[in-house]
Order: sequence, then structure tokens, then C-alpha cells
Amino acid sequence: MLEVTNLSLHYAQHLALEKVHLSLNQGETVVVLGANGAGKSSMLNVLAGRIAPDKGTEVSFLGSRLVGRKPHEFPEMGIALVPEGRGIFGDLTVAENLSLGAYVKHARAGEAERLGMVYELFPRLAERRSQIARTMSGGEQQMIAIGRALMSQPKLLMLDEPSLGLAPVLVLELFNALEKIKRTGVSLLLVEQNVKVSLNIADRGYLLEGGRVVGVNTAEALKQDPAVQQAFLGLPGAKSILPANDF
Amino acid sequence: MLLSALLTGLVLGGTYALIAMGLTLQYGVARIMNLAYGDFMIAAAFGAFVLFTSLGINPLLGMIAVIPAGFALSYAIYGVMLQPLARRAKHSGRLEVDSILATFGLLFVIQGVALVIFGANFVSYSYLAIPINILGTTLAANRVLALVLALALGAGLYYALTHTRWGTAIRAVAVSPQAAPLVGIDVDRVSRFAFALGGALAASGGVVVSMYLTFSATAGVVFTMKALVVVIMGGVGNLLGALAAGLILGIVETLVATYIDTGLTLAATYLIFLAILVFRPSGLFGRRPS
Repeated sequence: MLEVTNLSLHYAQHLALEKVHLSLNQGETVVVLGANGAGKSSMLNVLAGRIAPDKGTEVSFLGSRLVGRKPHEFPEMGIALVPEGRGIFGDLTVAENLSLGAYVKHARAGEAERLGMVYELFPRLAERRSQIARTMSGGEQQMIAIGRALMSQPKLLMLDEPSLGLAPVLVLELFNALEKIKRTGVSLLLVEQNVKVSLNIADRGYLLEGGRVVGVNTAEALKQDPAVQQAFLGLPGAKSILPANDF
Repeated sequence: MLLSALLTGLVLGGTYALIAMGLTLQYGVARIMNLAYGDFMIAAAFGAFVLFTSLGINPLLGMIAVIPAGFALSYAIYGVMLQPLARRAKHSGRLEVDSILATFGLLFVIQGVALVIFGANFVSYSYLAIPINILGTTLAANRVLALVLALALGAGLYYALTHTRWGTAIRAVAVSPQAAPLVGIDVDRVSRFAFALGGALAASGGVVVSMYLTFSATAGVVFTMKALVVVIMGGVGNLLGALAAGLILGIVETLVATYIDTGLTLAATYLIFLAILVFRPSGLFGRRPS
């Protein structure tokens, strides 16, 4: 459903992404792995229309071209992004955040049903629906961001390092929720530094290094891949890829 | 005397609250610091004046024409003059400076046109200048009507902004313009709408003011300043804050005028303003930046 060809991106002189090819099938969960600065976030921001890529980049989603569209058109097309830093409306309540998730026209029908689903997925949000979002913990804010994205009835849900800044217990809880979302048929594109948990829910994975794709394989194969092991799992100096503690 | 001062203060405060709500929409949502805001009000006041004196249309009915005109004109001004600035601005600081300069020019255009048509004299008209008795004090009916209108419009707007999806979307843009597109909100469109809505409120404020105050073509600046003071007192983008701060300011000004000296009202206004800027820079009800 998503086809990315020749995705390149420069910030002034700095090359952030170089000729990235990526594809994602309906219902598939794909994880993009890479260290800090590998270009993961830049890639999602291009795919959500928040940054314009270099000329020559082609992105198509269910047959429509995405490059050049304005960011607010993406949710209407069924692409939802949970950005790094979550991007929730801090001064609004939980319920208001979720209701804005259903701002796009196609999400208005069946809104109540989906709200019930989100509250079932994240019971914490149901308990705190009238609380101001910014007063909640990091993990709860992540739930709001994901819940809000689900309210827009996305076909493709993209998440930028959802585990960042969460305590290990919360990371597991979060990925359990993602697993459930996956089972509802939503395609997931996940960018992560937390290799172990993300490979557990992914079907396929891409390795990104210095803005380039250096490996593509099934999640099972990547788990066994010595290159992945070396780059991300348990080598000295690889400490920084583990999730930081909740602050 | 105290009760009478308080009631007069409430009337003035209600008007302040109404116009501050419009400015806080323009500044808090569209990020346009509109220096021509008060002149926009005065233009609407003249509109009500002309409708009343030459066509005999009372200001309440006049509002039905003046408020939509204020909306439409603001909508057009935003599209022609301000949207290009908003699009090219890379950050909100830049837009603030640009919009201040642009609307500073607009101020003189509106004022100039008003001067050409109406001259520099103070004008007023007499509508519902009947004394009515409230709790033992006498107040002109037009002032009471002004207060009722200000509160009704303010409450209506507040309800719409908190209980409808488009209202919530407007607040979402005020809170986080970066995050708004993530849920499909077109920030350009919402900004333009909010600016026009602010213009409609300025127009309604102008009509309300024309019912009980004398005004002139050059009186706009005072209202811009008062509205700005109230907006900052209440916290930028905070509607309830604007409402409360407007009422407080109106009452304080009237008390100072009644018990100390009329000449000191402006001084009192700026003393409060200064105190807020020094001790609570994000407003009485604003959140401290974290």
C-alpha cells in the first residue's frame, strides 16, 4: 500500500536520507531500525508531509502520490503519525484530544464506537478523560497520542520511537497495545531504537545507517542476523540504544 | 455610590471583555498582533451610528448587518494582507513583527477613511437613554443592554469554542499549531477563520460601545491598548481569562475614577498591567512556561 522510491533529503548541506526505497503491504508491520541520527525520524516526517523531500523522491500510498501534499491532507488519506515528542495538545483534556483525532471527515461516522475501542485499549485514558493532557505521565501521553491517531481511522499508523523515555514495564505494555492494534488490520510503520521488542511485533525490518538502507529482511531473520546483533544488541558501546529510564 | 460604581464598572468591563476576546482570538490563534483592532471597532461604531441616525435602524438590528460585515472584511483582510506574511514566516516571532508593522499601517488607513467621512469630532447618538433602577441605583438602559450583549456574546462564543469540534480545533491551533495538522486541521484555514471571528467580535464591541459612549475617528488606539492589556492580563489565547480580566479592569477603572481621580484611570490601568507583566508574565490565569 505504501511505496517509497528514491527518497532523499538534505538539510542545507547535510545529507539526512539518500535514495531510500521502502515498501509496506496492507496489514503489514514494518520496523525501521537505526541509531540516533540515522535518519529515521526524518523519514517518517517526510512520509507524513511535515518535511519536503528532495526532487526525484516518489512516495505513493494506495495509488496516490504523496509528495507535495500539505501535512493536514495526510490524516484524510488514512495516514496517521505519532511523532517523536508525541505532538498532543497539552492544554486540552484527554477527551478533547481524542475527539480531535476524529476531526477528519471520514472518521466522524463510527466515532463513538472507536472511542470505546480506544478506552478499552487504554483504560487509563477512560479513567482520566477530563484531565488536562500535559499533566499526565510520559506513558499516558503516549497513549493519548496513539489513541488520537486511532480515532482518525488510519489505514497506516506510523510511530516515531514510541518507547523513547518510557520505563521498561511501560514499553512492554505499549507494545502489547500495538500488537492488538496490528490485529485489527491497521498497517504499522514503526521507527525504533528498541530492537528486541520492535522485532517481536514486526513482520519485516529495514536497517538504516547514515541515511541509507543497509539491510532489509523478515523480522525473524533480522533477529538472527549477526550484523543486527553487532550493531544493536549487547555490544559494548551499544548502551545508548536501550530505552532511557522514565524521567 | 459604591454599588453604582460597581455597576458602571461592570458595564465597562463587559465591553472590555468582549473586545479582548476578539483580540485574543486573533493573537492567540492566528498569531496576528492586530494594531488596527480598535480602529476596526470604531469603524463598526460609525456603522451603527450611520444606521441609527440616517436610517433609523436601532443598534440591535444594526448588529445583524455590522457583525457579518466585520467578519467578511476581516476575512478579506487576512487573505489579502496577512496570509502572505503567515506563509513566509519561518517562526512565530517573525510573524509577530511583520503583522505589527502591517496592521500599524492598516490602522492609519481605517482612521484616515473615518476622518475623511466623519471628521475629527466626537459623535454619539441617543438610544434607550432611559433611566432604569437596579438595586436602588439608576443606570441608563443602554448601558445595561451593553452589558447584557457583551456577556451573551462572550458566553455564546465560549460555549461554541468549548463544546463544538470546530471550536476545539480553533483552540487546538492556539495550543499547538505544529501538532494541529497531525489530526487533519488546516492551520491556514483555521487561522483565517479565527481572525475573521475576532473581527466580528471587534465589530460587535464597536456597536456596543457606540450605544453608551461618545467616540471619534481617532479613538481606536485607546481600545486597542485596553484590549491588549486585558488579553495579556488574562493570558494570551485564554478566553475565560480575557472575560475575567476585562471585568476586573472595568471595575478598577471605575472605582479609581469615582473615588480617587478621573485623570488617574489610565495610570491605574497601566499600573495593573505593569504589575502583571512583572509578577505573572503569562497572565492571571496563564500557565507559567515550563
